[in-house]
Amino acid sequence: MAVERKWGMAVDADKCTGCQACVVACQSENNIPINEPDHFLQRRAIQWIRIERYWEGEFPDVKARFVPMLCQHCENAPCESVCPVFATYHNNEGLNVQVYNRCIGTRFCANNDPWNVRFFNFWEPVWPETLRNQLNTDVTVRSRGIMEKCTFCIQRIRRTTRDAGMEGREVEDGDVVPACVQSCPTNALVFGDLNDASSQVAHLREDGRQYRILDHLGTEPSVHYLAKIDPYAASEGEHA
Amino acid sequence: MALTRRQLLKYSGLGLLGAVVFAGCRIPDREFIAESPVLIPEDLVYGDDNYFATLARPNTGVESVLVRVMQGRAKKIEGNPDYPMSRGKHSAQAEATLQELYHPDRIATPLRRVGDRGAGEFESISWDEALDELAARLNDHLVNPDSIAMITAPLRGTLGTVVQQFSENYGLRRYAFEAVDQTVVRTAFNRMYGQERLPTFDIQNAHYVLSFGADFLSHWHAPLHYNWHYGEFRGETGGRGKLVQIEPRFSLTAANADRWVYVNPGTEGVLALAMAKVILDSREGNADAMALLRETIEFNAQPMNTVVEATGVSADVIESLAHDFAANQPGVAIGGGLAAAQTNGLYNMTAVYMLNALVGNVGKKGGVIFNPPAPIPNVVSTAAANPLMDFQRLADDIRANKINAVLIRGVDPAHGTPASMQFGRAMRENVPFIASFSNFMDETTLVADLVLPDMATLESWGDDVPEPGPGYEAVALQQPVVMPFVEGRAFGDVLLALVDDLGGRTTINLPWTNMQDAVRSEAQELWIKNRGSVQQFSNFEEFWVAVLQRGGWWDTNATGGAPQAPDLSQDPGPSRPSFSGGASTYPFHLLPFPSHSMGDGSDAHLPWLQATPDPITTAVWSTWVEVNPRDADALDVREADIVRIESPQGVIEAQVYVNPATAPGTVSVPMGQGHSSFGRYAEGVGSNVMEVLDAISDETTGAFAWGATRVRLEKTGRRERVRKFEGMVVAQTLPHRTVYEISTGNGGGAH
Repeated sequence: MAVERKWGMAVDADKCTGCQACVVACQSENNIPINEPDHFLQRRAIQWIRIERYWEGEFPDVKARFVPMLCQHCENAPCESVCPVFATYHNNEGLNVQVYNRCIGTRFCANNDPWNVRFFNFWEPVWPETLRNQLNTDVTVRSRGIMEKCTFCIQRIRRTTRDAGMEGREVEDGDVVPACVQSCPTNALVFGDLNDASSQVAHLREDGRQYRILDHLGTEPSVHYLAKIDPYAASEGEHA
Repeated sequence: MALTRRQLLKYSGLGLLGAVVFAGCRIPDREFIAESPVLIPEDLVYGDDNYFATLARPNTGVESVLVRVMQGRAKKIEGNPDYPMSRGKHSAQAEATLQELYHPDRIATPLRRVGDRGAGEFESISWDEALDELAARLNDHLVNPDSIAMITAPLRGTLGTVVQQFSENYGLRRYAFEAVDQTVVRTAFNRMYGQERLPTFDIQNAHYVLSFGADFLSHWHAPLHYNWHYGEFRGETGGRGKLVQIEPRFSLTAANADRWVYVNPGTEGVLALAMAKVILDSREGNADAMALLRETIEFNAQPMNTVVEATGVSADVIESLAHDFAANQPGVAIGGGLAAAQTNGLYNMTAVYMLNALVGNVGKKGGVIFNPPAPIPNVVSTAAANPLMDFQRLADDIRANKINAVLIRGVDPAHGTPASMQFGRAMRENVPFIASFSNFMDETTLVADLVLPDMATLESWGDDVPEPGPGYEAVALQQPVVMPFVEGRAFGDVLLALVDDLGGRTTINLPWTNMQDAVRSEAQELWIKNRGSVQQFSNFEEFWVAVLQRGGWWDTNATGGAPQAPDLSQDPGPSRPSFSGGASTYPFHLLPFPSHSMGDGSDAHLPWLQATPDPITTAVWSTWVEVNPRDADALDVREADIVRIESPQGVIEAQVYVNPATAPGTVSVPMGQGHSSFGRYAEGVGSNVMEVLDAISDETTGAFAWGATRVRLEKTGRRERVRKFEGMVVAQTLPHRTVYEISTGNGGGAH
């Protein structure tokens, strides 16, 4: 049981079609408030995982590139060190954790987060009474004035670990599946224990196409990307 | 009283008093059950949950799903890992089925109209009253059954059987409506291969995919299944396949293609034939197929310079694509979407699908796979819709007062047909009795006299024969996973109940008392077969539980038809497309497309899907028009300008989105918005592109040519910021630092 885990994800950009299945699966699993029209105009919409779309070129030599973006659960997370109340900290499983009832809403973490994957609740989340029946009982509804972000579906990690414990077995690779990974129709997203050398995610980390976004910042993200393959690319290499 | 966070902390410290204060807040009991208290995630307390296999029926097609149910409430949709069309995956649209179930604007009881038609004034009545009235009104008109029209979505499975049999027993007119008409592709396969059912394109095993307008990653045929195929196609095993998308619009599939080739709208068939000619001339095709097709191709193919001029594709590109396709087999050519939605749609599809025959990949791995029907007689396996032309005739008949009653279920032709047809108005003014079986007050239900709320998908019994299917026999089962949330009744149950009230011929081939009974009877036939994924049960009750748990039944050994030579004897119609609106007055080709998340608009009432960014523009909660940057300069418009989009048939307004991938001379507008009535999340959002589309159809099949209208754009001078995800977060990238990386795939790593 005392295995030191380090949860991580691999994102194969070559398989991501930008279909948004992960985005809605995450919203359903994690009780994310309905992103109403005004939220977009105010730039306050919440999506723990989102699909970023980058343009390259113009008609007719035009490309759209899709990059799924979520909390990178960095080993040296710049958001953690600035929290005055330890609402965000790094746990011993490699997760960047947000403790909602410690958070006092300074938003320092969001300010220090280069990926823009932390979201502040500017309002009390509102659902019509009937829609509240869908809310996931495993996940806290965040109140106004606190930060929230991708948890790697910690409720699923806990449930799986507990179930495995009750069955007297170890958690195996593929047992823990966050909502986004579960929905992804192309299997572009892979989740697992980076410390387990036999896991699929550890294997993908060694792939020749592996890179990490904003790696130069030295934050050691736990999300590993695999470069998009484009045989017709104008030039191989980096794009900003 | 409202409890602030600060008060909460204070009261929590007071122990028992806190509990009293909470009770005084009158938070409904249900919330205490449905929601966990504020705890750190590590301390979460679990109740009992269960997973049930059933079906979700979003606008993108039927999916087999597992629903997590906790304390009687559906919480989460997950893909059914067993079912061959899902493989544990599910779409954003399927997830939103939960919001259909718990939608605040669901119609809770039967309604009877009390005000004027369309005024939205209804009174709530009991089911007994509603059924009595329905039976009485139908009995009035049954002397002339041809004056009663039954309009539903295309239905498969036992509900399809019930509706078909009910209509046949009484001689009612039966219509199946889909706004984005698939008739052309169906007709092409029916004529060429005698196939009633849609085929499956084995993208997973293909090395090369040549798609003419089929946006199979977003909204064409079975997008979830094809997304899964695409993941495998891009996988390591067997090398990475190459995808070429030939389409006038930069669709999601074009965005994911290795190469996107712009082609002038409606000239896809000419292009495909030119490619066939190249393959034929270089003898790169299948020998038997070349011998068989030589005459047809040589007769129909046009000279290369004519093709280049018509299509806008250079001779080099045509030749290289043709050679690549022939050389990289197994490969598959797919046609649909905008290529089929033209006045020469059938010609285009026939030419595209002939390419498959030419390289000999029909019925083969990595090619076109045929799907067998369900192994049970009388269960509907094909959900063909009526082409638009049938609805035009129906609208004419309504106006000629030939229709006395309309029974309509789950479709909204008042919103989903071109406004120039005036379908909604004809219904409102000329049909004496309209009964709508709908959960929501959409535009069509608004003019109904009697509204009989249906069950939500997660509350009802049903089944499906997947189309396109996995290439072998499969039946998916749907069971209720929660108690009905409102006083709805399943449409099938109501029809079966009418059997007693109407008497007479209704019992012919309708031996069931309700839909559960019907689905059980179907399962009994599967049990007797004793083969496939669920077999060897001596007792039917055990089989019934097992088959429901798995979400269905399939037999991987019972595959579809063998490859056969195509029959090209029937006239595929004209080669040249025609358009509504002259090029001088209306300079832009309007290329509408089903909204990625909401499709034709049948899911526009679900807030998750309204808020799901369009993958290309990232726009949400709106209708926008995509314009090429140079065209935008010429029109002196930029993003957020509101423009009038005018066709010979009508005018709508939309916000400009300047899209670098939009071809000059074309503009694109998503379907699905502009609902005047459809619940709080859909009403008043955007505009309906159907209001500018001309009701013209494919000349041979009568299917809606929704890609054949030309428009002009006019600045209104007003501006409104585009609701979109793009720009939501400030990019904090530095020059020469990576956000995304590209590899050419030649064994090279990233940099």
